[in-house]
Amino acid sequence: MSIDETTQRGSGLSSKGLDSGTVGLLGAVVIGVSCVAPAYTLTAALGPTVAEVGVNLPAIFLVGFIPMLLVALGYRELNSAMPDSGTTFTWATRAFGPWIGWMGGWGLIAATVIVLSNLAAVAVDFFYLLISQVLGDPAIAELTLDLPVNIATTLVFIALACYISYRGMQATKTVQYVLVTFQLVVLAWFAIAAFIHVGNGTAFDATGISADWFNPFAVGSFSAFAAGVSLSIFIYWGWDVTLTMNEETTDPDRTPGRAGALTVIVIVVIYLTVALATLAYAGVGDGELGAGNPDNQESIFATLAGPVMGPFAILMSMAVLSSSAASLQSTFVSPARTLLAMGHYKALPKGYGRISPQHKSPSYATVAAAVAAAGFYVFTRLVSENALWDTITALGLMICFYYGITALACVWYFRAQAFASARNVFFKFLAPLLGGVILLVMFFKTAVDSMDPEYGSGSELFGIGMVFILGIGVILLGAVLMLVWSRINPAFFRQEVLTRGAAPRD
Amino acid sequence: MRYIVGYTADERGHDAVCLAVALARRQDADLDLVLVTPEHSLYAGTYPPDKGFDSLLSEQMREWMDEGLALVPDDVRARGVVIRAESNAEGLIRAAEDTEASLIVIGASSRGLAGRFSVGNVARSLLHASPVPVALAPRGYRRTDPVTRLTCAVGRRAGADAVISVAVSSAHRRGLPLRLVSLIALDAGQPDPGGAEDDANRRLAEASASLAAGGRVSVETARGASIEEAIESMAWDEGEVLLVGSSRLAQHARIFLGSTAAKILRTLTIPMVVVPRTYATPGTTSGPGALPTEADA
Repeated sequence: MSIDETTQRGSGLSSKGLDSGTVGLLGAVVIGVSCVAPAYTLTAALGPTVAEVGVNLPAIFLVGFIPMLLVALGYRELNSAMPDSGTTFTWATRAFGPWIGWMGGWGLIAATVIVLSNLAAVAVDFFYLLISQVLGDPAIAELTLDLPVNIATTLVFIALACYISYRGMQATKTVQYVLVTFQLVVLAWFAIAAFIHVGNGTAFDATGISADWFNPFAVGSFSAFAAGVSLSIFIYWGWDVTLTMNEETTDPDRTPGRAGALTVIVIVVIYLTVALATLAYAGVGDGELGAGNPDNQESIFATLAGPVMGPFAILMSMAVLSSSAASLQSTFVSPARTLLAMGHYKALPKGYGRISPQHKSPSYATVAAAVAAAGFYVFTRLVSENALWDTITALGLMICFYYGITALACVWYFRAQAFASARNVFFKFLAPLLGGVILLVMFFKTAVDSMDPEYGSGSELFGIGMVFILGIGVILLGAVLMLVWSRINPAFFRQEVLTRGAAPRD
Repeated sequence: MRYIVGYTADERGHDAVCLAVALARRQDADLDLVLVTPEHSLYAGTYPPDKGFDSLLSEQMREWMDEGLALVPDDVRARGVVIRAESNAEGLIRAAEDTEASLIVIGASSRGLAGRFSVGNVARSLLHASPVPVALAPRGYRRTDPVTRLTCAVGRRAGADAVISVAVSSAHRRGLPLRLVSLIALDAGQPDPGGAEDDANRRLAEASASLAAGGRVSVETARGASIEEAIESMAWDEGEVLLVGSSRLAQHARIFLGSTAAKILRTLTIPMVVVPRTYATPGTTSGPGALPTEADA
């Protein structure tokens, strides 16, 4: 028997990276916007952010981008120095050793699992809303408030997305172009329609736009500011994907930077326009349609699209549903791959490292992520009065946690090179250091504040705020699991697999 | 001569390798064990961006390939090939086209939702789209000894000539006895004494006469309400392989192609080679291949 491993069309066993052609500027922007999923993000985050910072929403949306940008620059450096499917997990392990690395990986997994449950829940809300709009029966939209129906449907959505991800099915170029264009058009439509209502005097609570809305220092307290920033980290989550596309672009030197800039312009413009339109139309009061009304917080478009867009509100339902369903499916890939990498490096039981022979996707890890997302959702839905609101706030907390660790890992890993050139000083030292410190400060401030039972939606368990329980509880759970696993199989924690190290001096 | 083996690191892949070895022996055929890896879509919307998964996957596939090649006995030449394609079926077809292979061998089994035996997705897509014959290994196929007899189901459907031609040339190459089975009762739609049966038998005789010089040919007639029933009513050797035309399987509607194949495989547990309707055996310019083509019945 002769063994002759051949490669065909440059896609042999050793092939790495993405090789299905390259993308230009427009393609990269579409990819960036699709990862941000603006329609889903806005409906999920607008309400909770208004609850924290009121009319200063536009200011927070603008300020929130800064730490995101700083951290993303560090992320890009790490990604090009150590491309690895474990991302935060691997990088933090290399920089800070196994314990912090494990917790960083846990933070990433927890964040994506939380967002999965939120995505599924938002998709379910708009699924029933869409059906009710199609059939003209408002009673159907109320189905989502029925606890057993809601939980059952959400679990079905999670299971479907898990199955699709397990089968390795992926969105194609055409699908993404259509989805992204549709989202942007519908959001712009919503904003314009809201402004027309304001102009005609038919708005719910017409509020004059003032320059003060853009002043971040006008936010009442540091608590509110920290909470707002950690939420706005969530709204930009995914944007940095454009920066890391180097060899995949037609012009690796320029395209990623330009695409990143253009994506952020598109995103900021659409966020600000929709935020201004919402505030101008509905105000921040707690009236029926007010953006400050706790009933409207968890999904602002579900409440406002009808009054603002009239019969065309159905388009908004379609935009949010498609955006969250698409994100639900693609987001599954991320915790699954991190779990896979952790299984591979013996930081988790071996089974997590299993790859499906049929579909070549992480098998055990994908199912594990689905079970975790389902479990998290059921727990939150049963305990919290306003599950979506609390999960989004806890999510902001979790992103701050693992992004903070990632940014500092960058600073520490590249410490020997940091002052070798002006470029290094900025990209490998200053930017990630500043970004990481800001995020960790936001993390600790929000964590401490969220112990208050009145925080977020006001749900509590044993007198402690629900957001604290969801956020810090999940982190502590990770710490416990880490200790248990280190007893069962200490190989990873003894650095027998991944060792601490630092980038060599240039 | 080269065979493409659709290899997966599971039971089904093992079935395929065993059948490929059985078919390749005495034939001097080379095996390409093909692992298909999914294409990445940049537009898949996955976040965070990740370039590392591929290295883990490559490592895993190298391991799988070593296991797969270890299943092939020393007297059969085999190599491993990895192809990137959107689907497994597409990858196998491309591998066959690129190497001008004469056969694609796959394991056909798949456990359905209710534990029912059915033909897997890959097999189903290949039955519809493959330009070359597809060999389906039944579940748990472990026989690697050379094939002992070929049976060819013939009738008057489109592509009948291609099937006979493949049967004759491969029986000839391997020096194997060939059994031609007439499935006339099916073609008539309902019991039809007289014309149809004679016609079919004449056709079989003609076919066998044209290769009388070469091999041992026997002719049988099978009756049944459906192809699977007719085939089940016959006696089968352990080392036998059944050849059928793809349009034969799709007699009711094309979408039933896979399920007809599944029914046959489930009860027979002998391998089946499905010859595409439009397939022309390479290198055969005379003999049964030149039989006049009849209209699609």
